[in-house]
Amino acid sequence: MTSVSIHDTGALFQIAEPTDQRRAQRRPGRGIGIDLGTTNSLVALAPHGAAPRVLRDSSGSGLVPSVVAYTTDPPLVGRAAQALQAEHPSQVLSSVKRLMGRGLADIDFAHPYHLSEETPGLLRIDVGAPVGSQADSASRRVTPTEVSAAILRELKLRAEAELGEPCDGAVITVPAYFDDAQRQATRDAGRIAGLQVYRLLAEPTAAALAYGLDRGGEGLFAVYDLGGGTFDISLLRLHKGVFQVLATGGDSALGGDDFDRALAARLLQRSGVGEPTRNQLDAARLAARAAKERLTEATATRVALPGLPELEVTRAEFEALIEPLAQRTLRACRQALKDAGLRAPELDGVVLVGGSTRVPKIRELVAETFKRPPLADIDPDEVVAWGAAIQADILSGSAREGVTLLDVVPLSLGLETMGGIVEKIIPRNATIPIAARQVFTNYAEHQTGMVIHVVQGERELARDCRSLARFDLKGIPRLPPSMARVEVTFQLDADALLTVSARELMTGVRQSVEVKPTYGLSEEEVDRLVMESLDHAGDDYARRNAAEARVELGRVVLALRTAVAEVGHLRELLPDDERAGLEAALAAADAAMADPDAAADPLNRARTALEKVSEPFARRRMERALNAGMAGKSLHDIERALADEDALQEKRAGHTPELLEPEEP
Amino acid sequence: MSADTDPFALFDLPRRHAASRDAIEQRYLELSRAAHPDNVVGDGTAARRAAVERASAVNAAYRVLRDPVLRAEALVKLGGIDLDSTDPERGAPHPTQAFLLEMIDLRERLEDGGPDGVAALRDDVEARCDAALDAAVEALDAGEVRRAAEHLVARRYFQRFLDETDSSAP
Repeated sequence: MTSVSIHDTGALFQIAEPTDQRRAQRRPGRGIGIDLGTTNSLVALAPHGAAPRVLRDSSGSGLVPSVVAYTTDPPLVGRAAQALQAEHPSQVLSSVKRLMGRGLADIDFAHPYHLSEETPGLLRIDVGAPVGSQADSASRRVTPTEVSAAILRELKLRAEAELGEPCDGAVITVPAYFDDAQRQATRDAGRIAGLQVYRLLAEPTAAALAYGLDRGGEGLFAVYDLGGGTFDISLLRLHKGVFQVLATGGDSALGGDDFDRALAARLLQRSGVGEPTRNQLDAARLAARAAKERLTEATATRVALPGLPELEVTRAEFEALIEPLAQRTLRACRQALKDAGLRAPELDGVVLVGGSTRVPKIRELVAETFKRPPLADIDPDEVVAWGAAIQADILSGSAREGVTLLDVVPLSLGLETMGGIVEKIIPRNATIPIAARQVFTNYAEHQTGMVIHVVQGERELARDCRSLARFDLKGIPRLPPSMARVEVTFQLDADALLTVSARELMTGVRQSVEVKPTYGLSEEEVDRLVMESLDHAGDDYARRNAAEARVELGRVVLALRTAVAEVGHLRELLPDDERAGLEAALAAADAAMADPDAAADPLNRARTALEKVSEPFARRRMERALNAGMAGKSLHDIERALADEDALQEKRAGHTPELLEPEEP
Repeated sequence: MSADTDPFALFDLPRRHAASRDAIEQRYLELSRAAHPDNVVGDGTAARRAAVERASAVNAAYRVLRDPVLRAEALVKLGGIDLDSTDPERGAPHPTQAFLLEMIDLRERLEDGGPDGVAALRDDVEARCDAALDAAVEALDAGEVRRAAEHLVARRYFQRFLDETDSSAP
């Protein structure tokens, strides 16, 4: 017999009050907001209460393609990786977000990767050996978590280049519908990337935060978020500085990529291609995506697949194709309204998030369902990163007028009971953090342990839900049947991540709980990867040092060459033997810089040698400058001035610049 | 239920069923702002854990207080009867023979009725469910905890009946 009592949270209040110096360890203004997307990722800053801004590359793009190329070691990320995708389809990974926290059995969509699952619940992707490595090089197998970590590391470096100093921590957004395994995988990726993850924030909550604060608004909002690979609907209330998620729902495997696939399949079918090759499929998908984007403005467009006759696609045809997918999102919307106990007319606004909400049919259906035109005045690609940056700024300890975000758990948490039936212990849409307590008893005196299976989902049978973890409860005292009573606490924290603790009620002794997560990396593996990433951080550091050393050496070489060109012919300044030494050192520096992979050390050595050899030359130039009455200026300015003067003299009197020299040695 | 886990005490509300929705919401926002774990991001494990537990208690109490049924059940529990327990003294009262016969009758009508019959039956049971809660609240207001518990047990039977017909509906 077990007793369920979500509202009985036990004696929890005596433990501790938050201390006054609660933000002491934080570094205000150094929190970064990351939208870790299926197709693209973004990083944004909103330091010290500033308006959020997305960090862009030199071409002005804020979107970093969520693509990682394992053709090199360390891997390439973003646009550079994307460029290699066609050539190395199994080594260049994209849309790994769909694999996060998943097992092989969950992967019901097409992909070009070599997946394996030796450890149950932990996918690995075989990415082969780096291109150009020896034939017998070991092939590498990476988890989706590590791939995401590579993307996060890239975003972190982008932010740190902007901040000019290390960031303190990050808020990473996840689809509201992500279950525990997917959230845990995301959090682990953050740790592996060397980030302190302040919070995982639901993407729709982040979007609402960006809009809500923008407008200083109060009221009820729906956020309709259709990205590349996921769909979320959330209903939120903003009231007196508290943002409360009332209900959330969605589909973690439905997005704009499915629109592309549906259209690609139609294009191939219309072209009479029965069994497309991998290349044909890829080409069709790219063409479909481009056609989809053109159909946002146009009502018809022409599509050419390589080697096949051109086709015309109308917007109506595209809309008919995606209608069933769109209807799936609307069903989730209606369910969320029901869960929140709301009717559409009660809402104050509907916010659109995600690139796929640019599709006109989607806007039309959303407007119909919520009975109002949706809001889309913040770029739907950037709005989530904005919200994440705002929350990151608050959590970094900035004196920013913050809101308290009250999120909900998207899926019910349950325990497997006799016959594989699920007993729900935390209902979906319960505000988090929340705890459930459950009392277990022994059925025999010799029983000193039991296995507890925790699942997440709405289905009746455990096998239809997601298995989260199995717990070995040990050390139950030897007591007659039903006398031992062990209370197990299932705690969901503010990120909706589960922790379990247990105590024996007769003695009050805490029981050992051995956690075996059914999905994802074990704690030890994450720790190992964090250590490896620190090694990689060493690599990053070394690369940065080398780059700095190269710049410094280049600067010294250039200054010397300039000086030699300007005054090198004056033997009083540069005697012949010294000049020979100098030329040799310059040649050595050139040689050092010719190696593009040169580390900092040889570059720095070349610079030191150059500075040593040129020191007398520099001293004499300085003295000459002082004699010329130009103290207080930089040597370079002085020489410039002197050279100009020399040139002037030369012009004026046809004299050589020897004019200023005292006497030949 | 100890004083610490009395949702009424946590929200500074009188221990009675009648409650102002506004007062509950107002207090919830105040408590949430103060207790949220985001306030202690970056602090030590103990402080963060304490914040998570505090916030959990606030959320759990809010869940009970805003729901008339859970609120009534919490009052019965504070009065010494735990509806989730089978203890003969402090556990849920056993339903009467007459009540069990009433339930059997309802189940038979469910099996016999067509779609229209099921809809009418559901309306009937919904009314009985509401009436059971009203009766429980009345008993609580009169200080009769045991009688309130009996009505709440009956309400649970009606509720399960409704849940089951809901899930089997086309």
